[in-house]
Amino acid sequence: MSKPKFVYVTYIASTPEKVWEALTSPEFTRQCWFGTHHETDWKVGSQWRLVFDDGRIADAGEILEADAPFRLVLRWRNEFRPEAKAEGYSRCTIAIESLDGAVKLTIVHELDDDRAESKFIAAVSGGWPRILSNVKSLLETGKLVLRTKTGGAS
Amino acid sequence: MSSKPVFLYVTYIASTPDKVFKALTSTEATGKFWFGNAVTSDWKVGSPITFHREGKLILQGEVLEYDLPRRLSHTFRPMHDAQFSAEQPSRVVYELEQQRDQVKLTVTHDGFAEGSKVFASISNGWPLVLSSLKSYLEANRVLWAPWYEKEKAAS
Repeated sequence: MSKPKFVYVTYIASTPEKVWEALTSPEFTRQCWFGTHHETDWKVGSQWRLVFDDGRIADAGEILEADAPFRLVLRWRNEFRPEAKAEGYSRCTIAIESLDGAVKLTIVHELDDDRAESKFIAAVSGGWPRILSNVKSLLETGKLVLRTKTGGAS
Repeated sequence: MSSKPVFLYVTYIASTPDKVFKALTSTEATGKFWFGNAVTSDWKVGSPITFHREGKLILQGEVLEYDLPRRLSHTFRPMHDAQFSAEQPSRVVYELEQQRDQVKLTVTHDGFAEGSKVFASISNGWPLVLSSLKSYLEANRVLWAPWYEKEKAAS
């Protein structure tokens, strides 16, 4: 058995600073992350929470590394799906690399423990492509590709 | 437990399945968003498909499925590098799903031998190509990537 892992890479015609802002600021995440926002001071060792606008906590953990605008590592546990929460903590590494003409954004999201299959990693495998498609659209065109998870905003 | 590698990538594009499908099968469009790699085929099942860049054969295959605008698949054999062309041909499947005013595009690339060098290369290549496709369709631009060849060579 190995640690269930999700890896995603996308290239965005933008700057590392703008990509970092799109991933961390409440104004952007409310749009790109389907109505959630981060609650944290982004300092290493600080608590981190991803919160729905109605106050429910989606995910929670700790800032393990923060090197704005290039690298962010989060200890991350789902809080609102019991079967995913039961799988415990994961580590999410966000790497932002400046290339000539674009930014390479890499997400590696890995469960801490060995497991044959993971409902949590299956869930983030569905979520990250949506979020990152939105981040890319918003930064390149000023518009979202997906408004909400269910499309309920339209 | 050993398993044969599969590459899976999902992206969401503010477009229609018809436009995405046509971009993937157009010589002109692929020449733009695929960093100069232009596709040619008559798109009949069993027909050859080739990608050329600056007159050089880069990739060839055979059309397996052509179901406009939902599903497209072909075999995949890179021809620009002898270590790649020596491997068994792999398979690419594109699935396009309309979701309101956007398209969910799923690319599944499988059929590799264990330890495939082509697999390592395409795992770097697809995110770049599909990021460029999304930019091309949404923003009418392609990603300028002078480091494209260098990244591929590094794999």
